[in-house]
Amino acid sequence: MKKKMAAAALACVMAVSLAACGGNEQSENDTTSKSETDKETGKEEKKGAEKKTGGVELNVTTTFAGNDTNAQNYKDAAGKWQDDTGNTINDTSATSDETFKARVAADFEVGSEPDVLFYFNGMDSNSFVEAGKVISIDDIRKEYPEYADNMKDELMGASPVDNVNYSVPVNGYWEGMFVNKSVLEEAGVDVPNADTSWDDFMGICQKVKDAGYTPIAASLAQIPHYWFEFTIYNHLAPDTHAVLPEKVDDEHGKAWVAGLEDMKEMYEKGFFPENTLSGTDDETFQSFIDGKAAFLVDGSWKVGGIEEATDDVDNFTVTYVPAKGERKATDIIGGLSSGYYITKKAWDDPDKREAAVSFIEYMTSDEMVSKFALTSATALKDGAKVDEKELSGLGKAGLEMVNNITGISDAVQDQIPTECRVPIFDGMPNIVTGKVKIPDAVTEVLTMIEDYQPEDAKK
Amino acid sequence: MSSNIYKNKKPLIFFLAPAFAFMLIFLYYPFVKNIFNSFCDIRGLGTAARGLNTPWYANYSRMLSDENMRTALINTLIMILVTIVGQVGIALLLAILVDNVKHGAKFFRVVFFFPIVISATALGLLFNLIFLYDKGMINQLLGAMGVGKLTDWKDETHALITMMIPVTWQYVGFYFIILVTGLNNISEELYEAAAIDGATRFQRVRFITLPLLYNVICTCIILAVTGALKVFDLPWVMFPKGIPFGKTWLTGTYMYYQVFNATDVDYSSAISVLIVVLGVILSKAVNKIFKERDY
Repeated sequence: MKKKMAAAALACVMAVSLAACGGNEQSENDTTSKSETDKETGKEEKKGAEKKTGGVELNVTTTFAGNDTNAQNYKDAAGKWQDDTGNTINDTSATSDETFKARVAADFEVGSEPDVLFYFNGMDSNSFVEAGKVISIDDIRKEYPEYADNMKDELMGASPVDNVNYSVPVNGYWEGMFVNKSVLEEAGVDVPNADTSWDDFMGICQKVKDAGYTPIAASLAQIPHYWFEFTIYNHLAPDTHAVLPEKVDDEHGKAWVAGLEDMKEMYEKGFFPENTLSGTDDETFQSFIDGKAAFLVDGSWKVGGIEEATDDVDNFTVTYVPAKGERKATDIIGGLSSGYYITKKAWDDPDKREAAVSFIEYMTSDEMVSKFALTSATALKDGAKVDEKELSGLGKAGLEMVNNITGISDAVQDQIPTECRVPIFDGMPNIVTGKVKIPDAVTEVLTMIEDYQPEDAKK
Repeated sequence: MSSNIYKNKKPLIFFLAPAFAFMLIFLYYPFVKNIFNSFCDIRGLGTAARGLNTPWYANYSRMLSDENMRTALINTLIMILVTIVGQVGIALLLAILVDNVKHGAKFFRVVFFFPIVISATALGLLFNLIFLYDKGMINQLLGAMGVGKLTDWKDETHALITMMIPVTWQYVGFYFIILVTGLNNISEELYEAAAIDGATRFQRVRFITLPLLYNVICTCIILAVTGALKVFDLPWVMFPKGIPFGKTWLTGTYMYYQVFNATDVDYSSAISVLIVVLGVILSKAVNKIFKERDY
């Protein structure tokens, strides 16, 4: 009996110790939060004189993290806004990958979404837009008429769900053709420009190949996306490119088949690297940097990538992807694929509503957008004010290219659910080698897209 | 009375409960949920299911006609064979050789075990550099020997071998250490007695070492078979998306691809169920074939 009592006493002591540990922690937390509150109150008192919105805790999630070129800009700007307003940001930003997307989707599902979210405005946002968990720009403007009035509404990136603007964009992207100038010099050809036709370009590629170089650096096994876009674009126009075909034999379906046939032809002519069907994107990019390949079609984010990868950035430039058909070379792929959302959860809380609007207005001011965007596209009515002295030769070429465009279209791949891209994107080696017939691959993608639609949408 | 406290097993439950709850929440619940998910229609990571598939077993019937899945299963079975022969076989050979070395045994143990402490991702990057098409180590060596044309070690012809070599090499050290430990448990007297009776070195290995090491070898084979089913990181780093032409899929890499690249969450759930079923069947079969013996 004594032993039993001893055991019970021991259990009690353990339980009390655990509780005490927790209690200490709690009390430490209390002390910390108290001292933080004291500090904040002090700050609030100090800032309160300047602005009345201080003291609000705003949960913010963005993709400005990790290796994102604007991660530091975001950190600085968010810090400055906190200092100015006395509000606090609980930042849960993370690198934009599938895990991050899953986290955002799950947060909305379980009702723990952030107050402000910087996120994609394409298909990735469909679930929470459909669920009515974010506030449209029009609704925000009913209370704050000047909200995002420095932006062109038509460029803000409307939701694919209802074609309504929900997010305020910062910096967008463009896709262009990067050029290794020394390879072209060795091959005795000029850098393509806005007047270079598709046939001229094929001739240039042949000359580059004859000189012993790879004309186009691309891994068709891993990243065929850029060439997929432009070869299809060549059979459409800026206002029709980003529309999904309904059938393989309608106008858009035929353009897809013709575009993929152009890619196949380029592969058969040997314009891609010899290991394009087994090499990775990193390998082909390195061959471009090392002066073994002449052209690389990629996005505006590659400007920084090239600047980082080479000691001789002046050896590189960027130009338009040559065109054929209705499309002009100066019609490019680009857009603003992300923006700041205010969630309904924050909107329903008057304090958070005020702070969220203040934060987004600060982060999307002309000055801030110019700082984030540099050479990339923006939706600013007055355009980005970039100090060209800060740009490299490659950056300046990018800016010049963007300033002279005649048309811009979103990437059509953004209209395709990731799950349905597989037969063309991951199946590109089979397409270019003729193992799969092009119309069959296109039909498979279109069937998958149709199956993917919810039953009510099909009706 | 005094020993009653030890007979009362109830306090044990109190101490076992946290671990059990942990397993329940983080292993068994997700496992059961995953089985359920494999019958549902899920349109992306983190999103709720939109109901059951039509028909509810659609993912399982799809597996039967999925060419990539077939490739993944065949490659995984090849991987199991390569693992048994390559990893356990080479480890056994090295262990016996090191056991017979008089000087430097410790040095060899460290050298052979070393790959285990390097992460699989780092090894993948290392072997990527070795097998790289342009400027890769092997192609540079071949170039130095006068071979002008570069060889694509990741093309259809070479891909599977290029993938299997580093995976095999990576775990040889693991089984080597287990086998060396087993060898150390064999009494020296047996070898001495056999030597006095005139047994050659080969006969000593054949009639003393191998029979006495049988149980350890069985354990190694079971570990190798179950391990081969889960191989993922190194092949994924070297051959993302089953390149080239989907020839290098393994069940593990194909499941990952379906979740994170194709975002087909329910289909990947079905693949993971298949991996578990396959794992249970194969480990049972291996246990039966390589039954441990009592001496």
